[in-house]
Amino acid sequence: MQHKRLTLLATALTLGVALTACTGNTPQDTGGGNQGGGVRVANDEPGEKVVIGFSAPAADHGWMAAITNAAKAEAGKYSDVELRVVEGTNDVNLQISQVETFINDKVDAIVLLPFDGAALTPVALKAMKAGITVINVDREFDSPFAARSTVLGDNYGMGVSAGTYVCEKLNGKSDAVVAEIAGIDSLPLTQDRSKGFADALSGCGLKVSNRVAAEFTVESGERAAANLLQAAPKIDAIWNHDDDQGVGVAAAVKNSGRGEFFMVGGAGSANVMREIQADNGPHKATVIYPSTQGADGIRLARLAVQNKSLGDLVEVEVPRQVQLYAPVVTKDNVDRYLPTAFES
Amino acid sequence: MTAPALLSVRGVVKRFPGVTALGGVDFDVRAGEVHCLLGQNGAGKSTLIKVLSGAHRPDEGEIRWRGEVVSFSGPTAAMRSGVAAIYQELDLVAGLSVADNVFLGHELSTAGFTHRSEARRRTRALLDRLGHPDISPDRDVGRLSVAHQQIVSMARALSLDGQLLIMDEPSAVLDPDEVRVLFGIIRELTAQGVAVVYISHRLAEIREIGDRVTVLKDGRTVATGLDAREVRTPELIGMMTGRVLENVFPQRKPVDPAAPEVLCVRGLTDGDRFAEVDLTVHAGEVVGLAGLVGSGRSEILETIYGARKSAGGTVEVDGRRLRRGSVGAAVRAGMGLCPEERKSQGLLLDQAVYRNITVSSLSAFASFGFLDDRAERDRARGLTEALDVRPAGVERVVRGLSGGNQQKVVLARWLLRECRVLLLDEPTRGVDVGARSEIYELVRELADSGVAVVIVSSEVEEVLGLADRVLVVREGRVVHEGPADEIDESRVLDLVMEGHAA
Amino acid sequence: MSEDTAAAVAKEKAPAVKESGLSALLGSAAGRNTGLVVALVLLCLGGVVTAGDRFADVDNLLTILRLAAVIGVVSVGMTFVITGGGIDLSVGAIVALSSVWATTLATQGLANDIHWIVIVLTALLVGGACGLVNGVLIAYGKVVAFIATLASLAAARGLAEIISNRKTQIVNVPGFTAFFDASVLGVPVLVVIFAVVAAGGWVLLNRTTFGRRTFAVGGNPEAARLAGIDVRRHTVMLYSLLGLCCGLAAVMLIARTTTGSATHGGLYELDAIAAVVIGGTLLTGGRGTIAGTVFGVLIFTTLSNVFTLNNLSISAQAVAKGAIIVVAVLLQQRLARRSGA
Repeated sequence: MQHKRLTLLATALTLGVALTACTGNTPQDTGGGNQGGGVRVANDEPGEKVVIGFSAPAADHGWMAAITNAAKAEAGKYSDVELRVVEGTNDVNLQISQVETFINDKVDAIVLLPFDGAALTPVALKAMKAGITVINVDREFDSPFAARSTVLGDNYGMGVSAGTYVCEKLNGKSDAVVAEIAGIDSLPLTQDRSKGFADALSGCGLKVSNRVAAEFTVESGERAAANLLQAAPKIDAIWNHDDDQGVGVAAAVKNSGRGEFFMVGGAGSANVMREIQADNGPHKATVIYPSTQGADGIRLARLAVQNKSLGDLVEVEVPRQVQLYAPVVTKDNVDRYLPTAFES
Repeated sequence: MTAPALLSVRGVVKRFPGVTALGGVDFDVRAGEVHCLLGQNGAGKSTLIKVLSGAHRPDEGEIRWRGEVVSFSGPTAAMRSGVAAIYQELDLVAGLSVADNVFLGHELSTAGFTHRSEARRRTRALLDRLGHPDISPDRDVGRLSVAHQQIVSMARALSLDGQLLIMDEPSAVLDPDEVRVLFGIIRELTAQGVAVVYISHRLAEIREIGDRVTVLKDGRTVATGLDAREVRTPELIGMMTGRVLENVFPQRKPVDPAAPEVLCVRGLTDGDRFAEVDLTVHAGEVVGLAGLVGSGRSEILETIYGARKSAGGTVEVDGRRLRRGSVGAAVRAGMGLCPEERKSQGLLLDQAVYRNITVSSLSAFASFGFLDDRAERDRARGLTEALDVRPAGVERVVRGLSGGNQQKVVLARWLLRECRVLLLDEPTRGVDVGARSEIYELVRELADSGVAVVIVSSEVEEVLGLADRVLVVREGRVVHEGPADEIDESRVLDLVMEGHAA
Repeated sequence: MSEDTAAAVAKEKAPAVKESGLSALLGSAAGRNTGLVVALVLLCLGGVVTAGDRFADVDNLLTILRLAAVIGVVSVGMTFVITGGGIDLSVGAIVALSSVWATTLATQGLANDIHWIVIVLTALLVGGACGLVNGVLIAYGKVVAFIATLASLAAARGLAEIISNRKTQIVNVPGFTAFFDASVLGVPVLVVIFAVVAAGGWVLLNRTTFGRRTFAVGGNPEAARLAGIDVRRHTVMLYSLLGLCCGLAAVMLIARTTTGSATHGGLYELDAIAAVVIGGTLLTGGRGTIAGTVFGVLIFTTLSNVFTLNNLSISAQAVAKGAIIVVAVLLQQRLARRSGA
């Protein structure tokens, strides 16, 4: 066991895999048996029994709630996976003790979305030392030895996707007013998203004219949007980082009675996608920050423990890092993304 | 004058757990008269007002209102019948307007909607009747002067066609000019047939405004229907104080003239309640402070003790000056206080007897901060046995003890410290007769052992019986000082009330 | 302890027979805590029945104790403040601020140059200073404790965010991590610290003049003042003591996570107050028990552990926690009425 772990580490790769995009290669599976990953290989056949522990922060946001729900649903599809989900918490002390419990229980793998990556690093290291496969989700540990594999979203990519879509849609209109409603401004992920957005806009000669920041909540979204609409009498496009706060943004837009602009959402909630599908509101697109990361973590954990490889890759080991793609969802492709979207 | 009585009270008794507040009260009030109620603190005046205004129900006796026996279910019911009381602490709601206050509790309304303009109009009329058209019904009551608030209270009392107004020491909060205005209003009202029951300690006022006087003592009527202008002052005071001094007080020893001055207070002033108080107590001497409630006597005691900040003057114990406003300094210098409000100021009610006794002497039982619990209990047990605290048991929670035994616990605290100066504020309030004499004995024994004692009491009898020397305090000033056996109770009461002739 | 230097001091020293007094107190403490012992035993039985050997296991016991240690140290300090008639809502924020201040690059640089104890001292100093500020505001500024510590809560967490720039600060002081990761006879250092703090707290509250004054100040501040106790100074000491406990808890949290962060200690105020109250300390002051508080902490952490072992959700746990608090308080009232009658 010890020897095998070392080999795994030694041969580990860092790959950026457009996992969600992969699904486009195969016909959409409507049976629901294993939605999302479309690869039909021996991988899905039941193997040795895998006990996986799962821990994530408190579900105080639709996206975070979806993470745990998707992970549970994914585990439920495999007869050889036993998932132990502990309650979500924002107290690192408690989350550490949850991981300690998994170690005591000698689970085979732990899928961990830490409240604070650095703070959970020591206990993740402890788990790895105990021979447990740790899959790190979304928020990175600060030691490369603390996880066998890491699943990440792409915040910078979200901004790039949103900016590129806005450029296309405005189609060379050089004096267009583009506004941005960011999330919690001090978080690195918000800064990454904004940077990607600005970089993509500059590619077509545009820039962000008005920028406000909210706090990922409905109520703060409403406040920020109301201020923005007050500040800018005419707007062509708005990118809102987060569809949860977007509920509040939509309310503010509705109250203002304005309709001269189109909106691009962020993260990809089901209700925004339904609005895009129906084409009856300001939202014309949203960019995805996959809420299926936890579910992907479950799959990777199972494969790593069962010593299987990742579907379409030639490589025989599970990759060291998987970064998910941030696709743009529009009326044309919304049907593909709606089933895995989260409810806010 | 044989006008039928508007209100007639016969044999009214009111008991509270442990005390009989009213033990048989009889008097009549006629329409259009000002009937004065006199009595010492604790004579039962406040309870009587509450019974008349429907706040309490009598246990025995009958009240006839306009000839019919009544039993008011509450103050509002009494008001609807025409009896209204104006309390010392005005019961108005600051933040509401004058009109709102006047109709508070009986708002003019239809189906829950108030008639604001009608209320305002009627309030205006009531204020006019009271000679105060200058008060606007829309003013916030909290912004009015105390005198005007009193007018609003009266308007409220009259708002339901009041026929009898009960006024509890209305002049206490007013200056002389305002009192004159108030009397004018009372005369107007009585001329309209309204009766007033007027309570005051100020004999001069009673002579000026009153028609007849009823004297209460220990919850009973001792005299009723006296002519307010004819009756002589000594006679009134005699009736109020009543009992001949019973010899429950221990024998005094003559104070050794050579005994050292233990407590020496010079020019003590707090800038508010009292000024320029000088007080010297020798070892072995008991000094009494006599005065009305609110005369500043308790404040003087608390300031000597450092529990209140002084604005000027000095306090010395054994010739060493104490730091101002520091209880710690006073206690270290050997002072102890048995406060007026025993339960709220003196005791840790939910803690054991021994902890209450040792709380001021903890260091004596500690080495390096660690307490010797056993020694504490032993010492406390010794003291409670000596003082005969019942029921015995130092682990007992203080809350369960009677008033007298609680007071003994507070005294034991200072006995344990072997203090040099003992300040006693109302040491026998709420204490039954038996325990009283035990406490008197104890105070005397302490004095005889060389402690300097200062005692404050509402009962002049107690001050005179216990003290070697008496200081009379009126409105924050010492107006008399002399040996206790050279002054009698009525003289003290005269001194205490004299200044109230406004 | 500068009182009682006057001549009038009870001279005779009673013979020091502490044994019987100690056993009596321990006996009464056990008696008072019967309900808590029963609750804890029931919870453990529940754990054994539902999780079997996974629960009844030395490693699992240590997991529970490690989880209890951090919040336990805060709760012991909270017991003093509540017994003394106060309340402190800022403990979580003080833990956060102490953890951040003790892990700045500057502090870590000093720690690497001099000794890792610098981190510990910094955290204790910051925590103690916050407590001191709270105490002075409440005792001398006459700000209601609820409001004063609510203000501290906001200010301390804000300051922690400013200092850390809302980033998690990672500790790179090998001596520090090594010391706190160690075990003494198989017991983790964090758990040893908790045990020492609890024992020390018990002695301080029940055996010293400081403890006795705490009961007096909480039971009736006016009576305590008139009995010669410097109530304001004592109040300041109570809050400072709690601040020190928060600083120590921050050290323990830094050791456990190897990080300092402005998000540490979230909602610790509620966890600590809940533990203290179900332990039997009166929220109105004047009565308090360290043993009860320790039981309260253990009940909550064991509950959390049993729920984790059984894959139950946070929502179900929150409901159970609420129910335990209500039952404990109802029981407390019932007992209080009986003793009052």
